[in-house]
Amino acid sequence: MRRFLASLRDGVGFDILLVGAAMVFLVAMAGLPLIYNVLMSFQQVDMFTLGSLIRPWAGFQNYIDVVREPAFWLVTKNTFIFVFFSMGGQFIIGFALALFFAQNFPGASTIRGLFLVSWVMPGLVVGAIWSWILAGDFGVLNTILKGLGIIQSNVFWKSDPAFSIWAVVIANIWLGLAFNMLLLSVGLAAIPRDLYEAAELDGANAFQRFWTITLPMMRSTIGAVLSLGLIGTLQQFDLFPAITEGGPANTSTVAQYWSWQMSFQLYDFAKGATISVMMLVLVLIASIIYVRSTRHEVRG
Amino acid sequence: MTAQIELKNIDKHYGAFHALKNVSLSIAKGSFVALVGPSGCGKSTLLRSIAGLETITSGDLHIAGKEMTGVPPRHRDIAMVFQSYALYPHMTVEENLTYSLRLHGVGKAEAKAKAAEVAATTGLSALLSRYPRQLSGGQRQRVAMGRAIIRNPKAFLFDEPLSNLDAALRVQMRKEIRALHDRLGATSVYVTHDQIEAMTMADWVVVMRDGIIEQQGRPLDLYDQPVNRFVAGFIGSPAMNFVDGVISEDGRGVVVGAGDRIPLARQAEPNRKVVAGVRPENLRVAEGAASFHFEVGNVESTGSATYLTSKDGALQLVQTERLGFSVGDRVGLDIDPALVHLFDPQSGARI
Ligand SMILES: Nc1ncnc2c1ncn2[C@@H]1O[C@H](COP(=O)(O)OP(=O)(O)OP(=O)(O)O)[C@@H](O)[C@H]1O
Ligand SMILES: [Mg+2]
Repeated sequence: MRRFLASLRDGVGFDILLVGAAMVFLVAMAGLPLIYNVLMSFQQVDMFTLGSLIRPWAGFQNYIDVVREPAFWLVTKNTFIFVFFSMGGQFIIGFALALFFAQNFPGASTIRGLFLVSWVMPGLVVGAIWSWILAGDFGVLNTILKGLGIIQSNVFWKSDPAFSIWAVVIANIWLGLAFNMLLLSVGLAAIPRDLYEAAELDGANAFQRFWTITLPMMRSTIGAVLSLGLIGTLQQFDLFPAITEGGPANTSTVAQYWSWQMSFQLYDFAKGATISVMMLVLVLIASIIYVRSTRHEVRG
Repeated sequence: MTAQIELKNIDKHYGAFHALKNVSLSIAKGSFVALVGPSGCGKSTLLRSIAGLETITSGDLHIAGKEMTGVPPRHRDIAMVFQSYALYPHMTVEENLTYSLRLHGVGKAEAKAKAAEVAATTGLSALLSRYPRQLSGGQRQRVAMGRAIIRNPKAFLFDEPLSNLDAALRVQMRKEIRALHDRLGATSVYVTHDQIEAMTMADWVVVMRDGIIEQQGRPLDLYDQPVNRFVAGFIGSPAMNFVDGVISEDGRGVVVGAGDRIPLARQAEPNRKVVAGVRPENLRVAEGAASFHFEVGNVESTGSATYLTSKDGALQLVQTERLGFSVGDRVGLDIDPALVHLFDPQSGARI
C-alpha cells in the first residue's frame, strides 16, 4: 500500500492516474453516446421504443434502407463536394495568407489578428451574413461580380440547384479560413530562419525554398490542419439551416444535415444514427491515414 | 595576390542603429581572415553582409572582382557555416550534403559520389543515412562543414562555428578547419570572439569594436604593435596590464604612483600623462633591487605556469617557473624596456 501511494506521488502511478481521469471522462462523454449511436443503427427504432436501450435487432437493414433512399447518392456527392472544396479552399487560401503575413511587413500581426473575427462568430451568424451576401436579387456578391463583368445576370446562389452547394462551400471556406491560417502561421513561425538562409546560400530560389524547406518542415502541421479541417467540415451544421436548408430538392444537403433531418424532422432515428455511423467510418479512415503519415515524423 | 573579397567604405544601419561604420577590408584569395571583437561589435553583421543575408546601406562589395550590390545570396557562390549549424532537420546527412548539388541539377550518381568523398574527408562516412537529430554536436559541426565544402565555393564564411563544442574538441576542430582550408586552397572569413582562435588559425586578423575596424594585420603584428589600448587589451591572454603614470623628467621612464618607475627604451615627451602597457608574460621577478613593485593578492598555479595577481587586481604576471610567493608578499619586477607600450590616456592611441 505504501509502495502504491509512493508511486502515485512520483512514479508511474501518477501518470496512470492522469491518463485514467481523462479516459473516464472520454468514455462517459464521448464513448457512451457513440456506442449508443452505433447500437441504434443496428436496431429498429420507433417513437415508442425511443426511451429503451434494448430494441428489436435490425441487422444491416438500416444501412440498406439508407443506401436505397432516393437522395443517398446526391447527398454523398454533395458531402464530397462540400468536404473536398471547403477543405481545399480553407487550406490553400489559409496557407497563402499565412505565408503572406509571415513576411513581417508593418502591421502584419495586427491584421492577422483581425482574421480571428470570423472564427469567433457563431456559425449561424456567419450563415446569416453570407445568406445576405449571396442573396440572388439584392446580394453584394452578385453586384460585385456584375460590376467586374464576370456575370451578366444575377446568379441565384441559394435557390439554383447548380449553385446551392457552392453557396455553403463559399461561406464555409470563409468560416474556416482564420483557423487554418492561424495554425499554419504557427507552423511557419516555428521554422528556424537560418534554415532559409542556409538554403539561400546553397542556391535555392524562393520556390525551391518553399518546396524543400517549408513544406517538409510543415508536414505535421499540415497533417493536423487537414485532419482538423476534415472533422470541422463534417461537423459543420449551422451554415445549412442559415443559408439553404439543404435545398432546393436536396441539392445542398450533406450527410450531417441529412442525418439531422432524418432524426429530428422525419423522426427516423435509426436512419439518422446510421448516417452518422457511416460518416464516423469515413473520419476513422482519414484519421488512420493521418496517423500513419505522421509516424515518420522527422522534425528535429 | 588578388583580392577575393573586397569591401570599400561599407556602412550598415539597422534603423537608427549604425552597426557597421565605414568598413574597408581586402581579403586576399587563399587567405584565412579572422574577424574578432567583443559581443555586439558587428562581426556577424559584416559576415552576413558579405553573404548577402543583410543588405548594406552604402559602400561597395566585390567578390572575385564582381560588384555584389543587388546580387542575391544564391548567386554569390559563397558557403557559410552557421553557429547553429542550420542543418536541414528533415534530411539525412547525405541529403544535407548534396542539397546544393541537387539544386544545381547535378545527377544523382554524381552527387552521391561527391557526398561520399566529402564524408570521407570530414569523417562522416558512417553517418550518411542519419538525421541531424541523431548526431552529436561535433558530428553536426562536421556536416555543416561538409555541406560548405562540397560545392567548392568562392569563399567560406564561418560564424563562430566552434562555440557550441567543448574545449578539447574546439582545439581539435581548429586544426582541422585550418588544414581543410589549406588543402582546398580556399578563401575563408572566420568570425570568433575568441582571440586565441583568431591568432592560431588566421593569416590576417581584423579586430572590430562598435562597428569599426580598430586594427588589422598579421596575428603577431597585432600582438607586437597594437595601435591602441583596446587592441592591446583584446589581443593576448591573459590581457595586457595597464598602468597610469607620468613620463619622467628625463623622458626615459614612466613614473607610477609611489615612486615606482617603468623604464622606456626610447625618449618620450617629459611630464606627459600616459598609460603604460606591459604584457603579463613580459614581467619578470627581479633577482636584486627593482624599480617597480607589486603586492601579491592572489597566486594561481597550473603546474606549467604561475599567475600572480596584484592586491588591487590591476596587474597580472605570468611566469613559467614555479614561484614560492604567498599573498601579501612585495615583489620587485624587472621590465624589458623594449616591451613597454605607451598609450594616450584620453584617446587610447599608441604613442
Ligand atoms: N536585425 C537587427 N536589427 C537591429 N539591430 C541589430 C540587428 N542585428 C544586429 N543588430 C545590432 O547590431 C550590432 C552588431 O550585431 P552582430 O550580430 O553583428 O554582433 P556580433 O559582433 O556578431 O556579436 P556576437 O559576438 O555576440 O555574435 C549589435 O549591437 C546588434 O544589437
Ligand atoms: Mg555574432
